[in-house]
Amino acid sequence: MLIVENLHVCVGATAVLKGLTLTVPTGEVHAIMGPNGSGKSTLAYVLAGRPGYTVTAGTVTYDGQDLLALAPEERARSGVFLGFQYPVEIPGVNNVYLLKAALNAQRKQRGLQEVDAFEFLGVVREKMQLMQMPETFLSRGVNEGFSGGEKKRNEILQMLVLEPRLAILDETDSGLDIDALKVVATGVNSLRGAERSIVLVTHYQRLLDHIVPDKVHVLAGGRILRSGDHTLAHELERRGYDWVISEAA
Amino acid sequence: MSSPLLTRIAAEHAAALAAQPPAPASLAHRRKALQGLLERGLPTVRDENWRYANLRILEKANFTPGTAVGSADGIDLPAAIEGFTRFVFIDGQFAPQLSAPTGARGAATLTRLQGELPTDQQAFALLNEAFATDGADIQVTAGAATVDIEVLFYSAAPTAAYPRLNVRLGANARLRLIERHVGKVTTPQFINSVVRVELAAGAAFNHYRLQETGAATSWTDTLRATVARDASYHLHLLQVGALAARSTVDVELAGAAASTRIDTVALADGPQVHDTMIVVDHKATHTRTEENFRGIAGGRARIGFNGLIIVRDSAHHADSAQSLKGLIAGSEAEIDLRPQLEIHTDEVRCSHGATTGKLDDAMLFYLLSRGITPEVAQRLLKWAFITDVVAKIDVPALRTHVQRSLASHMLDAQSLQELLS
Repeated sequence: MLIVENLHVCVGATAVLKGLTLTVPTGEVHAIMGPNGSGKSTLAYVLAGRPGYTVTAGTVTYDGQDLLALAPEERARSGVFLGFQYPVEIPGVNNVYLLKAALNAQRKQRGLQEVDAFEFLGVVREKMQLMQMPETFLSRGVNEGFSGGEKKRNEILQMLVLEPRLAILDETDSGLDIDALKVVATGVNSLRGAERSIVLVTHYQRLLDHIVPDKVHVLAGGRILRSGDHTLAHELERRGYDWVISEAA
Repeated sequence: MSSPLLTRIAAEHAAALAAQPPAPASLAHRRKALQGLLERGLPTVRDENWRYANLRILEKANFTPGTAVGSADGIDLPAAIEGFTRFVFIDGQFAPQLSAPTGARGAATLTRLQGELPTDQQAFALLNEAFATDGADIQVTAGAATVDIEVLFYSAAPTAAYPRLNVRLGANARLRLIERHVGKVTTPQFINSVVRVELAAGAAFNHYRLQETGAATSWTDTLRATVARDASYHLHLLQVGALAARSTVDVELAGAAASTRIDTVALADGPQVHDTMIVVDHKATHTRTEENFRGIAGGRARIGFNGLIIVRDSAHHADSAQSLKGLIAGSEAEIDLRPQLEIHTDEVRCSHGATTGKLDDAMLFYLLSRGITPEVAQRLLKWAFITDVVAKIDVPALRTHVQRSLASHMLDAQSLQELLS
C-alpha cells in the first residue's frame, strides 16, 4: 500500500527527515513512535501533501503511484486520509457540509454519482453513534468551539465516513482522557480491514493497548531506527527511547 | 470655493429647481444647502479622511434627480421580510402603491419627509439637502412592543437619487429598521443618502442597513446618530454593491450609559472601492462601543475602514472595543484598516485589534486534505471569514437573506444551498 524509500525532507533550511524508509502492506496497522522532534508529524504532513515541506530526496509510492506527484486534494480523493494532531476550526462551514463535500469529491474521483442525501445522513448518524457524538455536532461549524477531545473524535468520524484506503493518524491520542481514548480506538478498530492500511503516529504506548498494531517503528533523528511487533511498544514504555538511539548509533 | 465640479452642480441644481419648482419654504432651504456646499466644497483625496474613497467618479456623475413618480411597472422588488411593515421608494420617490399606508401604526408614525432634515454641515449631507425631494420620517413613541419597519430604496432608472431618512425614538421606544438600497441599474448613477437618528433615554434601535446598489453606481451616505442616556444603537452595515461606495457614520454617545454596536461587512471585488469612516464620540460616563468590521477585497478592489473612537474628558468609565479584520483575496486588492483612539480621560477601557491578511494556510490545507478543490476551499474560507459578524443579525429571515446575498458572491449555487440549508 505504502512504500517510503530513503525520504529526505526539509522544513525551511532544517533537514527533518533524513533517509526514512518504511513499508506498510495493505491490511496492516503500523505505529510510528518516537521522541519529540523526531519527525513524526513531518512524515504525516508530507504524506498528506502539506505545503512548506520540501522533499529533497527519496520516493513515496502509494498503491503503485507516485504519491508526491499528487496535489493534497488528489491524495485525499484517491483514499489518503490525515487525522490532524491539531484539527483546525472553520467557523461558518458546518460539519455535515464538509463531510458531504469531502465524500462527494472522493466519489467523483472514482466515477461514482453523488451520494444520496438521505442515505448519507443515515451513514453519518450511525458513525456518530459509534463515536458517541450528539447530533447537534452536524450543524455546528467544523471544530468550532469543540474541546480537544471532541476535535479528535470528529477527525475519526470524518475518517469513518470517508473510509480511506490509507489513514495516517497524527497523535490522535494526545489530549484524550481514558474514556475518549477508548471511543477513538473503537472507531479506528471498526475500520481495520484487509483493504486498508493505518499508520498511527503516537507518543505513548497507551493507544496501542486499544489498537494493537501489526508493526511498531521507532522514528528518531529523521530515520526509522528499529521495527518490531507490538511488544516493542511495551519495551519502549519500559525503557524509553535512548537505548534504541544508542544501539543504532 | 469653486471648481468645475461645483459649478456644474450649481447649474444642475438651478435647472432642477426650474424644471420642478418646489414650495417656497423648500426652495429656501434647498438653496441655502447648495450655498453651504459651494462655500464648503466637496472633499478631495488630499483630505486624510477621504483618501481611500473614489471621488474621481464624481467628475462624471449626473446630479439631477429623476422626476418621474415611482412606478411599479416591471419592477421586481426583493422579497419582503416577514413581520416588517414595508415602505418603498423608487428612484427617490415614494411609491404608495408598493407601500403600507403611511401615518400612525401603533407606536410608530411614518410620514413623507419633504421638508428640511437638520443635519450637520458635511458636504454630502448638504448636497443631499440641496437636491432631495422625498424621504421617510419615522417617529416612535414609547411603547412596550418593538416596531418593525423596512424602508426599501429601489433604483429603476439611471438618474441621481437622494434617499433620506429621519428616525426619532422617544424614551424607551424600540425599533427594528431594515434600510435597504437595491439597484438593478448597470449604467453609471449617483446615489447620495442621508440618515439622521435621534434616540431618547432608554430607547433601543436595531438598524440593518444594506447597500446592494448597481454595479456602476457611485454611492455616498452620511449617517448621524445621537444616543441619549441608557439608549442603545445597534447598526449593521452591509456594503456589497456600487462601483465606488463611501459611508460616513457619526455616532454621538451623549448621555450616561449610552451604547452603540456597529457591525460592518464589506465585500468588494473587481474594480470596486468601499470606504467607510465611522466616528463614535463618547461624551458621557459609562458609554460603550463595540465595533466589528470584516472586509474581503478580491480582484483589484480597495477597502478602507477608518474607525475613530473619541473619549471626552467627561466620559470616564467609557468602554470601547474594536475588532477590524481584512482579507485580501485578489492579487491586486488592497485593504486599509485604521482603528484610531482619541482619549481625553484616564478611567477608560479601550481595546482595538486590526489585522489584514490572506487566507489562513492551515485552514486551507485542512480542507484540501479532505479532497476539497483549492477553488472551493478558498470560497469556503472567505465565507468563514465574515460569518461571525453576519451571525449578529438577530432577525432570522433577514440574516438568511444577507447570508444568501453574501454567499452568492463567493459560492456556487449548490454549495450555497447545502451550506445554508
